[in-house]
Amino acid sequence: MERLLDMSENTPVTIRERCEPSRTRSRELRLAAVTLLWAVTFVGATRLLKSELLPAGIVPWLVALAPSVAAGFVLAAYVRFLREADELQRLIQLQGLAAGFGGGFFVLCGYSLFEQLGASPAGIELVAVMPFLYVIGVLVGERKYR
Amino acid sequence: MKNRLKVLRAERDWTQARLASELEVSRQTVNAIETGKYDPSLPLAFRIARLFGQAIEQIFVDNKETSS
Repeated sequence: MERLLDMSENTPVTIRERCEPSRTRSRELRLAAVTLLWAVTFVGATRLLKSELLPAGIVPWLVALAPSVAAGFVLAAYVRFLREADELQRLIQLQGLAAGFGGGFFVLCGYSLFEQLGASPAGIELVAVMPFLYVIGVLVGERKYR
Repeated sequence: MKNRLKVLRAERDWTQARLASELEVSRQTVNAIETGKYDPSLPLAFRIARLFGQAIEQIFVDNKETSS
């Protein structure tokens, strides 16, 4: 492997070593970008469908389908992210997913009891608790192994 | 589990980033192993042992063994 000389520390540094942080960062940025794309598509599609600006026919169906297509890109990027991650990063992601899925499931189940007592019915907004708890779980993991 | 990773790395005057690159893991993983916050999987422990030319048990020591 080609080697460079890092003049600041006077120790040999490989090209791979120099590239590794930027590759990790680019994976994270790619995942963040497609997630943002999905969020924009979802919010846009929701507003368009509520606005009744769309002509009748196939167009509203295509608009409703758009977030699902974007979600496919998010899932593909996340699978690639996991595949290229090392074992500690995967562990942190697993903890995040456990917090998001497990916590979200129990929150939704728990809220159903409050609905029986007269609380407003759970909307799609309540599902947002899952990614919220996922992010919290990942941040806790990142802090734990920092 | 205790380990001698930091000592072995220092003997070679390697940075954590350099060791992470050699092991094909993140620098965060190397740091977590060195500080004892994370125990590596067996395949990674073998890679570490191969890299430093030592047996796994010469690098990683079970806490129970050291206390007894």
